[in-house]
Amino acid sequence: MALLLSGCGSWARRSAGPVGWGGADRQDPALSGNGRVLASVVRRDGRDTVLLQEQPSGTVLPLRHFGRLQPHRSPSLSWNGRYLALLVQQGPERRVLIEDRATGRLHRLPLPGGLVPESLSLAADGRRIAIATEGDGRSRVQLYDLTNLLEPDLPAGLPVRGAPATTP
Amino acid sequence: MTLGAGGLVRAVTVAGALPVLLAGCLAPLPQPMVGLNQRLEAAGPARAPSLSGDWLALIVSRGGRDRVELVDLQRQQPVPLPGLERPDAQPLSVAVDGRGERLALVRQLEGRTELVLYRRNLMALQPVPLQPPGVPRRVSLRADGRELAVEVSRQGQWQVDLIAVP
Repeated sequence: MALLLSGCGSWARRSAGPVGWGGADRQDPALSGNGRVLASVVRRDGRDTVLLQEQPSGTVLPLRHFGRLQPHRSPSLSWNGRYLALLVQQGPERRVLIEDRATGRLHRLPLPGGLVPESLSLAADGRRIAIATEGDGRSRVQLYDLTNLLEPDLPAGLPVRGAPATTP
Repeated sequence: MTLGAGGLVRAVTVAGALPVLLAGCLAPLPQPMVGLNQRLEAAGPARAPSLSGDWLALIVSRGGRDRVELVDLQRQQPVPLPGLERPDAQPLSVAVDGRGERLALVRQLEGRTELVLYRRNLMALQPVPLQPPGVPRRVSLRADGRELAVEVSRQGQWQVDLIAVP
C-alpha cells in the first residue's frame, strides 16, 4: 500500500539567484549530477539563452559555442558538468548539440529526417541520451548510445576549467 | 601544365582542409538503441524523458490518459510504481535519480499543480512545499537524488528553486 508522507523531514529551499539581466524569467533548470553546476534558460536580448552557473556561488561559467543559435531549450548536464547537451535553433532547423567543456569540442547529433526534437535528457555519465521528438503525427522518446562519441563523465572524472574542483 | 601562385594557394588550402573535412565525414555518430526504442515505440506516444544511470522516466499516453513510466534500461522493462499514479492526475514533468529510487513529479490534480517526491522503496509519495507559494512546471533531479531544481511561476515571473531533499 502506498504511503502518503506529509510534513515529514524539512525541505531546505534556496533560490537559484539573480541571472544578472534584471528580472528575467528563468526556466528549464538542469543540475549536474553532483549538483555543482546549474543550467537554466533565461531571456537575454529577447532571446532564450542558456546560462551556466556554479553552485552555490552563482558564478557564471563560460561556454564556447551556442552563440547565435538561440533560442535555446532543454539543457542537460553530465555528472561534473563536463558535457552540456542542448536544443538550439540553427536556421529553420532545431538541432541537438553537446558541448564538451573540458576540450571545447562541439558534437552534433543528427536525427532521422522529419523528427523535430522537443526535449532531451543526458545521462549523468554521458553514455546515453534520451530525445523526445515530434514527427509523423506522434510524439516519441528515443535513446542513443554515446559511448563512441563521449568519454564518460564520472564522479572522479576530468576536472573542468571553470568548474569546482571537488565533488561532495 | 603548371599551377600559378593563386592555384598553388588554392591547392594548399584544399589539401589543408582535407583532414578537417574527412574528420567531419568520419566522426563517430550516436547509435540508436534499437531494441529499447522499439519497446518505447510500442508503449505509445511519449514525452518529457528523464535519463539517469540505468533508468529512464517518461510520460506515456495510453488509452487517452498520460501516465508516468519508469523503465529499467538493463532489463529493458518498465517497473511498477505503486501509489504514484492517480487516474485523475495529469503528469506534466518527471525526473529520476541515478538509482531509480527517487522520482520528482509535477502534476495537475483537483485543479491545482503540485510538486511531489516519490520514493520507490517506500512506495511513498511526499508533497514538496513551495515557499513562497507558486505554480511548478518543469522539474529536474540531481543524479545523486539529493537536490531538485524546479521551475516555478510566481506573480507572472518564472523562477528556479533549488530544494534539498531530506
